[in-house]
Amino acid sequence: MMLKHFLFSVLFAFTALTSMVQASSAPEPAVAVEEKVYESKTVVELLESFFQTTGINAMINTKDGVKGGHGEELTHFAQGWGRVIMFAIVFLLFYLAIAKGFEPLLLLPIAFGGLLANIPIANMTGPDGMLGIIYSMGIANQFFPLLIFMGVGAMTDFGPLLSNPKTALLGGAAQFGIFGSLVGAAALSQYTGMVDFTLKQCSAISIIGGADGPTSIFIASALAPELLGAIAVAAYSYMALVPVIQPPIMKALTTVEERRIVMKSTRKVNSLEKLIFPLIVVVMIALILPDAAPLMGAFALGNFAKESGVVDRLSNEMQNSLINIVTIFLGLGVGSKLAAEQFLIAETIGIMIIGLLAFAAGTAAGVIMAQLMNKFSKADPINPLIGAAGVSAVPMAARVASKVGSEARPGNILLMHAMGPNVAGVIGSAVAAGVLLSIFK
Amino acid sequence: MEINLVGESLKFMVLGMAIVLVFLLIMVEIMKLQAKIINKYFPEKAPKIVPASNNPPLTQTNTEEEAHHVAAIVAAVAEFRKQS
Repeated sequence: MMLKHFLFSVLFAFTALTSMVQASSAPEPAVAVEEKVYESKTVVELLESFFQTTGINAMINTKDGVKGGHGEELTHFAQGWGRVIMFAIVFLLFYLAIAKGFEPLLLLPIAFGGLLANIPIANMTGPDGMLGIIYSMGIANQFFPLLIFMGVGAMTDFGPLLSNPKTALLGGAAQFGIFGSLVGAAALSQYTGMVDFTLKQCSAISIIGGADGPTSIFIASALAPELLGAIAVAAYSYMALVPVIQPPIMKALTTVEERRIVMKSTRKVNSLEKLIFPLIVVVMIALILPDAAPLMGAFALGNFAKESGVVDRLSNEMQNSLINIVTIFLGLGVGSKLAAEQFLIAETIGIMIIGLLAFAAGTAAGVIMAQLMNKFSKADPINPLIGAAGVSAVPMAARVASKVGSEARPGNILLMHAMGPNVAGVIGSAVAAGVLLSIFK
Repeated sequence: MEINLVGESLKFMVLGMAIVLVFLLIMVEIMKLQAKIINKYFPEKAPKIVPASNNPPLTQTNTEEEAHHVAAIVAAVAEFRKQS
C-alpha cells in the first residue's frame, strides 16, 4: 500500500505540473477531459483510473480472465513475476549479444521482440499488435526463413565442396545430431515425465541439431509453433557457442596424429561446375524429396543468381539489404514467442538440454564418419576435424575445425577443406527437415 | 492407442539418416561425374601465362636499368633489416 500511495503522489505531482503547463497554453483543459470520459470526475478519480491502466498495476494486481495475445487466459504468474523473469532473460540475451558477440544479428532483435512481447496491457503479440502482425506476416507461413535461405544461398560458395565431393558425406553424418536428439527428446518425454512432448514437438526440437537457424524456424513453425521461441533461442545461442561446445568433443574423439593430418590442396573448380550445381540440387530435390523444395529452392536460387555472374544486382540485394530486412522481421517475430506464458514452461528447459545434446551428437558423428572414411580409403586421408564442420553453422564450425587443426600442427590450414562439409551440412539439414516434414504429412 | 515415442523416433532416425546419406551419396557421384564431363568437354581456359619468349623484346638498356633498380632495392631492404 505504501508503494501505491507513493506512486499516487508522484503521479499527482507530475500531472499537476503538466496541467499547469497546459493551462498556460490551452485555456480550456477541462473540455478535453470531458470528451474522453463523458462524465465529470475528480482529479483523484482520474488518477486512480489512470493507475488502473499502468503496467505496474497490471503486474502487481494480477487478475483472473486477462487474455494473452492469442486469446488464451493468462495465469497470475504469467501476468506478474513471469514478466519480470522474462525481462531478466531478455537482458541476459542483450548481454550475450552485445558484450559476448553471440550471433548479435539475430539475438538482439529476438531479445527486443521478447521485451516488447512482455509489456502488459499493450498486447503487442495479439493479431493487431506489431509483433503479432510480423509473426503472421512471415513466420506463421514460414516465409521469412525462406528469404533468409535465399540470401545464405547467395553467400555460399560451393567451390570447396565441388573440389572434394566426398566430404559431403561428413555433412550428412553430422545430421545424426538431428535424429539422435529426436530419440533423446522422445526418451526424455517418455521416461522422465518432466516434459510431455508429442512426436511433432520432438521433431521440431531435434532440428536444432542441424545448427541452422532458418531451417529450425521453418520446421518449428510448421510442426510446433508453440515451442518456436525456445527452439529459435536455443538454436541461435548454441550456434554462437560452437567454438565452446565443439573443440572438447573433437579432441576427445581424435588422436594427435589424426589432428595433424595435412590434406591435399583443393583443385581449381571450373566455374561451369559451380553454375550447374544448384540446378542439380533442385532436380534431385524435385525427384527425391519435394518436401524440402521450399528450403532448397530458395537456397539454390540465391546460389544460382550468384554463380551466373550476370545478375550481380539481384544477388547483391539477396546477400545484403533483403537478408538484413528479413532478419529484423524474423527476430522480432520470433521474439513475440518469448512472452512469459509461452516461454516459462518446463518444456523450455527440456529444449535447451536436447539442443545441447544435438550439437554434441552432430559434432561427434561428423568426426567419427571422417575416421570411418579414412579406414576404407587410404588415398587422400581426411583430417577428422573437418567432420565436425558438418553441422552447418556456416562458417563458424569450419573456422573452429581450422583452429583446432592449426593448434595440432601450426600452419596446417583446414579452412577451405572444412567449408566442404560445412556447406554440405546445410544441404543435409534441409534434406533432414524435408524428411521430417514428409513424415507428418 | 498410446504410441511408443522412443520406438517411433528410432524408426524416424533410420529413415532420416538413410535418406540424408543416400541423397548426399547420389550428389557426390553426380558431382564427380559432372566434374569429369565438364573438365573434358568444356575445360576452363587457363589464365594465360604468357611465355617469356613471347614478350616484346626488351632493349638491352632497359633490362640493365631494371637490374640496377633491383639491386638497389635489394640493398636498401637489406640495410633496413640490419637497422631494425
